[in-house]
Amino acid sequence: MKIRQEMKGDVLVIAMSGKVIGGPELIEVKEIFKKAVDQDKKKVLLDLGKVSWMDSSGLGVIVSGHTTLARAGGALRILNATKKIHELFIITKLITIFETYRDEQEALNSFGD
Amino acid sequence: MRAIEIHLPSDSSVLEPLQQIVEAIGRSAEVEEDDLSSLSVAVVELAKNAMEHGNGNDPEKTVTISFNIFPNRIRFLIDDEGSWEPEKALGFNPGEGEELLLTRGRGILIARNLAKWVEFGLTPEGKTRVTLIWPLT
Repeated sequence: MKIRQEMKGDVLVIAMSGKVIGGPELIEVKEIFKKAVDQDKKKVLLDLGKVSWMDSSGLGVIVSGHTTLARAGGALRILNATKKIHELFIITKLITIFETYRDEQEALNSFGD
Repeated sequence: MRAIEIHLPSDSSVLEPLQQIVEAIGRSAEVEEDDLSSLSVAVVELAKNAMEHGNGNDPEKTVTISFNIFPNRIRFLIDDEGSWEPEKALGFNPGEGEELLLTRGRGILIARNLAKWVEFGLTPEGKTRVTLIWPLT
């Protein structure tokens, strides 16, 4: 799994790629969310477009990020979830929590000012 | 065909190799390419549960995955060294209030939805055994 971070306006875009499978590397992702809040970056867009495989461990980290940001008054939104990841969001009903987008600009605009 | 067994330590570092092995099994049984990741997610989720709930994530304890490829299905048996009761251990019911925001406990739910048949039982020795059946078309 690889992680890339980039600021677009006031939105932190975190792009994950590769396999998101259980293990210590997911702790790193949790830390990124905490660090973002510490740095007052509370609008986060998680790009999953290049994630080739994900299981419940990945979902757990995404939920953790959502909770971390929401408690700080921020928001986590999802970009480019693949068909398989979208299916996991539906099975687990997480689709009811997360706003998901296909278009990056639309996703960025959704955060507002 | 006799079952082929894979013995895994209860260590998360083996999950990625397991995912690759399961997809190779699926590919050899002509599971559709689009379904391979669903199959591997289901088996990996069940293996993780066996490691955690059956073996307490003790790397000295083993999860044994055996599989048979029959003309119309693949059968996976996932055995651990414990005797836990999945339905009591994991009462996760998404959509029920705060449970939706738990960071764990979704593995069995996902496996059951992705695979066509997942059943929990016991081995003749009284250890927990999960059976996953993947139909072949």
